[in-house]
Amino acid sequence: MADGTRKLKVGFADQLRDIEVALPAGEPQPWDATTKLDVVGKPHPRIEAAAKVTGAARYTHDQRPAGLVHAAVLRCPHPCAVLDALDLEPARGAPGVLAVLAVAKPGDRLLFAGQDVAALAATTPQQAHAALARIAVRYSPQPFVVDTTAAMQPDAPLVHRAQVRERSTEGDEPGTPTGSSQRGNLRMSPSQKKGDVDKGLRQAKVTHEATYSTQAHTHSALETHSIVLRWDSPTSLTAWCSTQGIFSVRDELAEVFGLKPQDVHVITDYMGGGFGAKFGASAPGSRLGFIAGELARQARAPVALLLDRREEHLCTGNRPDSIQQVTLGAAADGSLTAIKVLAHGSGGIGTGAGVGRNAFAIYTKCPNIRVESHDVFTHAGPATAFRAPGHPQGAFAIELALDELAVKLGKDPLELRLAHNEHPVRRHQFELGRKQFDWDNKRKRVADERQRNTRLRHGVGVAASIWGDFGRGKAVVASLSVGRDGSIELRNGLQDIGGGITTVVAQVVAEVLRRPLADIRVRIGTSELGPSVGSGGSNTTSSVTPAVRAAAEAVLQQLRELAGKQLAARRPEDVLWDSKGARVGGKSIAFVDLCKHIAGEAIVATGTRPDTYGAYPSRFMGGNSVAIAGVQFAEVELDTWTGLVRATHVLALHDCGRVMNPLTCRSQITGGIILGTSYALSEQRVMDKRHGVMLNPNLDSYKIAGARDVPAIDVVFTEVHTGANNTGAIGIGEPATIPTAAAIACAVFSAIGTPVRSLPLTPDRVLAALGAIPTAAPARG
Amino acid sequence: MSDIPRISRRSLFRGVGSATLVAGCAAKTPTPAPAPGLDPAAPPLAGTALGPGPAPLRFTLNGAPQTLEAAPSTTLLELLRHQLDATGSKLVCDRGACGACTVLVDGAPQPSCMTLAHDVEGRGVTTVEGLATNNQLSPLQRAFIEHDALQCGYCSSGMLMSCQALLNRRGATDAAAVEHAIAGNLCRCGTYPNVVAAVLSVAKGGA
Repeated sequence: MADGTRKLKVGFADQLRDIEVALPAGEPQPWDATTKLDVVGKPHPRIEAAAKVTGAARYTHDQRPAGLVHAAVLRCPHPCAVLDALDLEPARGAPGVLAVLAVAKPGDRLLFAGQDVAALAATTPQQAHAALARIAVRYSPQPFVVDTTAAMQPDAPLVHRAQVRERSTEGDEPGTPTGSSQRGNLRMSPSQKKGDVDKGLRQAKVTHEATYSTQAHTHSALETHSIVLRWDSPTSLTAWCSTQGIFSVRDELAEVFGLKPQDVHVITDYMGGGFGAKFGASAPGSRLGFIAGELARQARAPVALLLDRREEHLCTGNRPDSIQQVTLGAAADGSLTAIKVLAHGSGGIGTGAGVGRNAFAIYTKCPNIRVESHDVFTHAGPATAFRAPGHPQGAFAIELALDELAVKLGKDPLELRLAHNEHPVRRHQFELGRKQFDWDNKRKRVADERQRNTRLRHGVGVAASIWGDFGRGKAVVASLSVGRDGSIELRNGLQDIGGGITTVVAQVVAEVLRRPLADIRVRIGTSELGPSVGSGGSNTTSSVTPAVRAAAEAVLQQLRELAGKQLAARRPEDVLWDSKGARVGGKSIAFVDLCKHIAGEAIVATGTRPDTYGAYPSRFMGGNSVAIAGVQFAEVELDTWTGLVRATHVLALHDCGRVMNPLTCRSQITGGIILGTSYALSEQRVMDKRHGVMLNPNLDSYKIAGARDVPAIDVVFTEVHTGANNTGAIGIGEPATIPTAAAIACAVFSAIGTPVRSLPLTPDRVLAALGAIPTAAPARG
Repeated sequence: MSDIPRISRRSLFRGVGSATLVAGCAAKTPTPAPAPGLDPAAPPLAGTALGPGPAPLRFTLNGAPQTLEAAPSTTLLELLRHQLDATGSKLVCDRGACGACTVLVDGAPQPSCMTLAHDVEGRGVTTVEGLATNNQLSPLQRAFIEHDALQCGYCSSGMLMSCQALLNRRGATDAAAVEHAIAGNLCRCGTYPNVVAAVLSVAKGGA
């Protein structure tokens, strides 16, 4: 088949249309709005779930290769210090110690409390931790700054003395502006701009200007960053790693130890949660891969380096904080004339404190927009991608600012949004949500309670998300085999981080081959199984399923040819294929019988995915990927006496292309909302400004939402046929968490009539907004 | 029941006295009066003193009798994961804040990271590995799968044990009761609503 164009029916709801897409040779006819599927799109429980509910699933923390020894890392206790002396010899003689390693050397300037200094390995974890105390180390503490505002002052202690290079991973949003200049602790990034924002503000009849701030937020995956590493020969190794990107681990270990990538075998059968921080063999602030590999070489034994909870908070990444000055201008009729955001945020010693695309790319009818976001360096652990990097903080500021402007304009916040949003799917979601949430009536009740000054108040808010379909072409090579015994096995070096991709790829194979889902064996989780993508940027399903489908279609073609021979078909098209097997006229052959005629052991075919070929109905930032839309409505209950806010209900309307498995897709959206609720109401990294250390590096005072803190959640899929790839899948992991905190903050504003402009929305801040207690200084860290 | 006095990490700290712990940190603090358990003149605690080396320990794990040796400082979670290779129970926070290591001790849910191994002497411990019988998943396990009450699965072992304990005491009367029972089990993927639905479905099914 030569390259060619094909017609596709794309769109959503009743807005369907035909488009033409250019397809490379061999690409299967894409599933579109006219395609009826039996297995894909239906709810299916996870096929690997039994291993998870019986405790049989072996995560990285559970690996016990023979002779395993245990590593521990000595970390710098100071926010900034010069390492004066380091003597490992006393630890070398401690009970059970098999290897010691200096990671920092005397003279090094250490930049955050938690940075690697030295490491060792011992027979038991207890011996390793006990031996750390024997390391003789001397530091000269240096001036430091951990507060973002303080770090922006000209006389603030300087964090980096040289230019900082941006570190980006597969968890980062593609196409984020790069190129920057650095002055003091400030690293300026190029702005997103259109029109003339100053002119727009001059034209405005009504303006709103305020500063919004958000807290630093740690990923807190339950399984900490961890690696178990075994040298199999002087030039080859096996690493079990809790990672979102098997091949990123392979490549880092190959580079660090000068090995051929194919001699590095990485295994991630199961992994206990990844939200953007688990790429590469190391953590963003700790050289785990290097440490484990060196210790294993010295100890001549496999080494487990499993971070504890405190380390996980300090050196494995975080969502940066932000201080965002938002200025909005509107004409007398309420149309926006300007959106201006000047944001500063600290990713500690790292970069990446942006505020996403929310202010720039959602309310696009505003002609003049400028969004600047700059990094502020502080002496804290480096930030890294965290589920929709930048977006939740950006959404919080722009959405709450819009609500404040709406009040000044005397407009319904939903109307203001509808009037400025041009994405057809998002418009549809706003309208649908308005009805289903009963927005208009709920707003009346909220206003009534506010007017009556009741103790208990309700509030409602709405906010939007934007993300792109970042499905990657040519990155995945999936391999499918059908054996002579009728067994079906899909192989790919993919990791399932909890999104449910294992089940989804089985569904695709079952759909194409018309075989029962239970008959599909999916082998993933090691680098030996063929190239795949990292799970970041919400790209797994859209990158992997088209390649799997291509492999399955190729196998099916060979099976049909085989059936044609067996049943003496005159033409290949005469072979009919269904759930029983093949048929030609009145003759038929069952699937298992047909397989017995396979020459050799199996039919094996590989499949890959071309670049994204369609982007209907709306392109993301002018590129060739679909702009994903989502809208969430939130309701809160607020006690004006205690200041306590409870999120009681969230209605989430999301576009995720073709919904491959509604059961797991719904779970992922629910999870995004719960993470967003937790970010809105309770989570914050608290830094001690005087000592420069994190005060709550645990899970009892770092408050992540529990079962009783979550709202009732309704999920509505607005299925969109985008023409992006042959399965129509696009991502959902990130979009689902973007608007939650913003919608909750807007709801709190509607409940009390005063905005709380800092996250998290803790009782002290609510009470301060109510005038019940003095305004607290914003606690940022 | 064992005749060895039961010690937990919490009660050990309580026994030593917080003043003593603080005194250990600040050299200039006046020496406090010795805590009762440490007064050399006080009569010894009843029972046999253990340690510091490994001491014999017997208990039942998922119905199978265990006879082994463990140092008195070993937590039940360490014993399960390192000595018995029962890695279903997870180490997540190591201070009883997250519930990922929850096991049943004589039917009662307990964080195994906060339980000393010797505290289960003579007792029956059930872990996630003990929920299925003869390779048949329990009704709760099946409900977790059907309701998609797990994503990455790392909290699931502990979550299941808290829920099983609730079902055993016939307490899964409504969503609030389930939420209360799992209030100490953190899930970062956000599976709580599905966990509640799974448990209620089992309770309604009379399992």
